[in-house]
Amino acid sequence: MNVVIMGCGRVGSAVAVRLSNEGHSVSVIDPESFAFSRLPESFHGRCVVGSGNDVRILGDVGIATADAFIAVASGDNRNILASQRAKHIFGVATVVTRVKDPERSELFAQLGLQTFSPTTIGAELAHAALFSSTTASVEV
Amino acid sequence: MYIIVVGGGIVGYGLALELQVLPGHEVTIVERDNRRASELRDELGEMVVNGDGSEVAFLEQIGAARADLLIAVTADDGANLVACQAAKHRFGVARTISRVNNPRNEELFHLLGIDSTISASQAVMAQIETTLPEHTVVPLMSLKGSGLTVVDLHLQDGAPADGRPIRDIRLPEKALISLVVGTDGPKVPDGDTVLHSGDEVIAVIPVDAEETMRELITGRPAAG
Repeated sequence: MNVVIMGCGRVGSAVAVRLSNEGHSVSVIDPESFAFSRLPESFHGRCVVGSGNDVRILGDVGIATADAFIAVASGDNRNILASQRAKHIFGVATVVTRVKDPERSELFAQLGLQTFSPTTIGAELAHAALFSSTTASVEV
Repeated sequence: MYIIVVGGGIVGYGLALELQVLPGHEVTIVERDNRRASELRDELGEMVVNGDGSEVAFLEQIGAARADLLIAVTADDGANLVACQAAKHRFGVARTISRVNNPRNEELFHLLGIDSTISASQAVMAQIETTLPEHTVVPLMSLKGSGLTVVDLHLQDGAPADGRPIRDIRLPEKALISLVVGTDGPKVPDGDTVLHSGDEVIAVIPVDAEETMRELITGRPAAG
C-alpha cells in the first residue's frame, strides 16, 4: 500500500514506522525537518519537508496514486482541509483524520471523513482505568 | 439579517465597518486572539466576540443556528473552510462566503459547497483583465447552481456586434444583455438598442458561452 502521512509528530512517526515495517511504502510530510529525527535510522520511507497543504509537495509524494492519506498534523483545521483535498481532489480511497475537538470530529465524520478524536479516546481510557483500578483495589 | 463574520484582521475589520452602517442587520465579529478582540471591542463595541469560529460549540453559543450568512475571512484557509462547513451542515446557515488565501484552494472550496469565495489574487486579476485588450470578457460573479455568470464586456471597434441593434445579434442561447453603458450613461437595453464600439456591456451568460461572447464583442477568438 502507498501511504502518505501528514505530520511527523509522535503519532505520525509511530504509525509511519509501523506501516513501513509491515512492508508498506510510506511518505511522511512535515514542515519542520527536526520532526524526522523521531524516526529511527532503519526507517525506509520518504521524508519530505513542507506543508501537507502544499499541492506541489503532495505531487512530489505521489498523492494521486496513494492508497491512503493519514492527517495527524497538530491543527484540526489543517488536517480537515488536507484530508478533504486528498479525498475529493485526488481521489485517495482511504483518508484518516485526527481531529482533537470531539464535536468537530463528529461533524466531519458525518461529512464523509474517517475521523478520530484523541480527546474522546483519552477520556474514555482515563475513565476506564479509574474504574478498573478501583475495582482491583476493592478486590484486593 | 443576522451575519457572522469570522476573523477580525484587516479584512474582517473593514467588513465590520461596512456592515455596521447597513440598517436592519445584526452583525457579530468573531476574533480568536484575545488582545485583538478587546482592541476591536473598544472601537466596535458589543458586536465583537472573543472565540474560535471553527469551533462548533462556540458557533452555537453565538447563535449560528439563526444566522442567515457566515463570512469567514481569517488568514487561515483551514479555519475558514471549517467555519463555513460547520455553519452550513451543522447549523443550516443558508449562505457562506469564504476568503481564500491560497488560490489553489478555490476549486476545493467550491466543490465542498461554499457559496462564494473571495481571493485577493482573483480581485487583482480582474483588475488586470480589464486593462488587457485580449481579455475583453471579465467575469464579475458566478450565479451558483444556474451555470450562469455575470460578465463585463468592452465592445471593440469593428466587432460583429458593433453598430447593430441587439435584436440582430446572434447571442448564445440563454445569454442576456442586462445593461449598456454608453457615452450617454447607463441604460437598460431593448431589442432596438444599437451597440457601439466603446460601450461597456454587462451581460448574464452561460459559463460555456464566454468564447462566443468574446468573438461577438471583439471580433476575434481568445489569444492562444
